[in-house]
Amino acid sequence: MVRLVDLPEYEREHLLSKNMEPLGPTPWVDLDRPLSERKVALITTAGLHFRDDEGFEFADASYRVIPGDLEGDELVMSHSSVNFDRTGFQDDINVVFPIDRFRELAAEGLVGSLATQHFSFMGAGLQPAMYEASVRKLAGLLIKDAVDTVFLTPV
Amino acid sequence: MSAIAYFLESEGLQTTGISLVRENTEALRPPRFLWTTFPLGRPMGTPGDAPFQRRVILAALDLLNRKSGPVLEDYPEDAPTVEIEDYPACPVSFARPSADVSTWDARLRNELLQMKPWYDLSRHRRGRTTVGVAKAPIDELAPRLAKLVDQGSLEGLDFKPLKYALEDLKAYYREALTAQPGTYDFAEIERTLWDETELGRAMRALDDLFAADPRLAQARRIIASRAARND
Repeated sequence: MVRLVDLPEYEREHLLSKNMEPLGPTPWVDLDRPLSERKVALITTAGLHFRDDEGFEFADASYRVIPGDLEGDELVMSHSSVNFDRTGFQDDINVVFPIDRFRELAAEGLVGSLATQHFSFMGAGLQPAMYEASVRKLAGLLIKDAVDTVFLTPV
Repeated sequence: MSAIAYFLESEGLQTTGISLVRENTEALRPPRFLWTTFPLGRPMGTPGDAPFQRRVILAALDLLNRKSGPVLEDYPEDAPTVEIEDYPACPVSFARPSADVSTWDARLRNELLQMKPWYDLSRHRRGRTTVGVAKAPIDELAPRLAKLVDQGSLEGLDFKPLKYALEDLKAYYREALTAQPGTYDFAEIERTLWDETELGRAMRALDDLFAADPRLAQARRIIASRAARND
């Protein structure tokens, strides 16, 4: 559906206005171990969090922690944008945050293990560089958890 | 998303993931992303279809084997589409009740009573709800919206509680409108929400109040999507 040519002009123009310059030369990590020996964390920008957590602000570069043993049904979404389909998330958290699929891959041994904690951002309203401080802090937490690979899902 | 990949990778973590807007990802040149044609809001393509989601994930994970980048690969499958005659009819009757309908507050309260059985059914069927951001009962949330549109001004606006109230109200209605089993067309659900409900009409009235204040132009995006505003 998100082929720009298929969208109304106002939507196409809006999305194209979000094209940003690169933050710098593309960083590149090359790991020589197979996925079956890796520890994977999930990060979403869907603005997910627990009901008792503080919701995301209108523009917000902070993150929320999602423990690896969560029951997916406990999460809610406080994303500032209303320009996306939330009915998929109502039916199945995995369409936004595919934790059950990754648990299956880990159980089968295709993925070595999953992170102790996963994380959620709210991707709207800020320039890309505004996420630097919180993401670099988060990287430290992931490395401490022996995570080496991150799977990212937008919304 | 691309910025998060950029900063994580520069800290030594290998990243891969899903891109929903190819042009945005291409511009920022993050290390590895799999572009899909799925609708915004559905990065794994389709709810309740584990094999489909798994194929998408494996394709994105395969990018970890590339030896140089940036990599932005196109995923070949589209998400399954819904034929318009296939999805369940809207279960809620929007016939006006005989009770007081003189204010937005009264109309929204009446409508919530109509929605409640369908919301309860949805919760029972799904075993969950996505309502709960505002940390308050739903019948305490509608008045936050009604107060502003009934007075016809944003005087006394408390932005954050209003934002959370709108999120919960919309989630409550969408769950009620999709209470019956089946596959739904998102555009049709949105058309019903915005064109046939008092909540939709009240939110349009609120959007008009925001639009009249240049300082709040950006904040309109907590209320109505560009499609709902049609601008």
